[in-house]
Amino acid sequence: MACKTACQMLQRRLVSSAATSARLSSAELRSRRDSLFSQEQARQRALYPRVEKIEVQMQGPGLQGTLLVMNKGMSTPHSCARHLTEWHMDNAVLALVDGESWPLHKPLTQSCSLTLLTFKDANPLLANQAYWRSCAALLGQVLQNAFKDEYTVELLKIPDVPVTSGAFVCDVVLDQQLDSWTPSEEALRSFTRDAQQLIHKDLPWEPLEVAPSVALDIFAHSRFKQTEVEELAAQSSSGTVSLYRCGDHVTLSEGPLVARTGLCMQYEVTAIHSLEQGPWGLHRRAQGLSLPQQLQAHHTVWRKLRKRAEKLVEVTPSSASETAALPSEDSHPQNPAPPTQQ
Amino acid sequence: MRLTLRALISHGRVARRMGLGPESRINMLRNILTGLVRHERIETTRARADEVQFYAEKLIDYGKRGDTDEKAMHMANFWLTEKDLLPKLFKVLAPRFENQRKGYTRIARLPNRENLDRASMAVLEYKGNPFPPLFPIKQENELTLINQLLKGYREEKAQLAGQRES
Repeated sequence: MACKTACQMLQRRLVSSAATSARLSSAELRSRRDSLFSQEQARQRALYPRVEKIEVQMQGPGLQGTLLVMNKGMSTPHSCARHLTEWHMDNAVLALVDGESWPLHKPLTQSCSLTLLTFKDANPLLANQAYWRSCAALLGQVLQNAFKDEYTVELLKIPDVPVTSGAFVCDVVLDQQLDSWTPSEEALRSFTRDAQQLIHKDLPWEPLEVAPSVALDIFAHSRFKQTEVEELAAQSSSGTVSLYRCGDHVTLSEGPLVARTGLCMQYEVTAIHSLEQGPWGLHRRAQGLSLPQQLQAHHTVWRKLRKRAEKLVEVTPSSASETAALPSEDSHPQNPAPPTQQ
Repeated sequence: MRLTLRALISHGRVARRMGLGPESRINMLRNILTGLVRHERIETTRARADEVQFYAEKLIDYGKRGDTDEKAMHMANFWLTEKDLLPKLFKVLAPRFENQRKGYTRIARLPNRENLDRASMAVLEYKGNPFPPLFPIKQENELTLINQLLKGYREEKAQLAGQRES
């Protein structure tokens, strides 16, 4: 018996050492990306050596005529909110700078008019979409860090699904050894717990606009991320890609993310479905449901929404383009695959 | 008179006694009612607001009879001590409540008076006044995150029900 366990341990160690020799472990990968991100952030901050002042005209209910004098390249919409009230700090999700959405922790570069968006605005669609995207990014972060070092986890492009589809989704390719693995309810609960811990830490999502070369360097160990960087750089008008860092996890994002993880209140990973076999391996789609602190659901409502979020969400190419407009009606999940649980 | 246990025990003496006597009470209520018609929202003790409410409603009923009606004019002349308010009653308040049969006033409770005698206070107002609302207006927004989720849920349920029928 002792011999058997010793053999198993030896085997496992051999496997893991073989894996690490081929690639960096996930912790090393994370710290490398984190340090590269910090370097680039420091470089961009050093572009403004002198403190210059800009004037920020606040817009919004009760803020007409408020003029803030802020520092160029240093002050963010969040620091503007800190000059107002605690309510503005806690409830601001996203900023609107001269009519375009702007992450809350991104420095302002010129005099502008600023609106702080909340979940309870008259038209909160932008905030909703950013929240949904951020929850998917958080799910990706959880999945990236949840597995043991010997399994590779490759995050695919996060599809932009409308809120009415019922769940946010995150596509992932797991190690080949895990192809036969079907996640149990316990595993999902463990993912949920990891996410709750991140939410409890109340980490900010720090945005950074970088040139594609820097992004390619940061994602040097992931072939898929590199192609995604190239696609995003080709799509964007300025030729840059936006990176976000939450804790020590660096992620790519198409649109702006919300201010911090603490905005989520109810958060649950509801299902992981297996999709078709792709060029990178078996595609899996993780789904979850979340609600912010300002809009909590009664447990009966939550149970219904949660049950719906277990069904597979179909991502149509058209749904991504419609997200900026009103949520589409044709993106209902058709449920071709049965839920993995129950 | 309400037939209650309290009425039984107190041998019928259940009316609220205010002021120095019946006449003083009427004069006090007249003054308060005049203030109410002038300002449309007043703050007074809860007992007085409760007493005045009945007369305030009744006055509107008389006002609706028009200023040519003799009885209505007499009552308005009696209850409004400041005579410049007579046109306001017949020309402003009566037309405002044309389509309403009753319930022209509203009472909201206030915290007890702090400085004098800790009397319980209230706000009495005519509905449709130009002041900000006493109670916050409940806003329903179809576009919030949770309402969007519920909308998707309902649509899917309707779709499934449609498929089952066909």
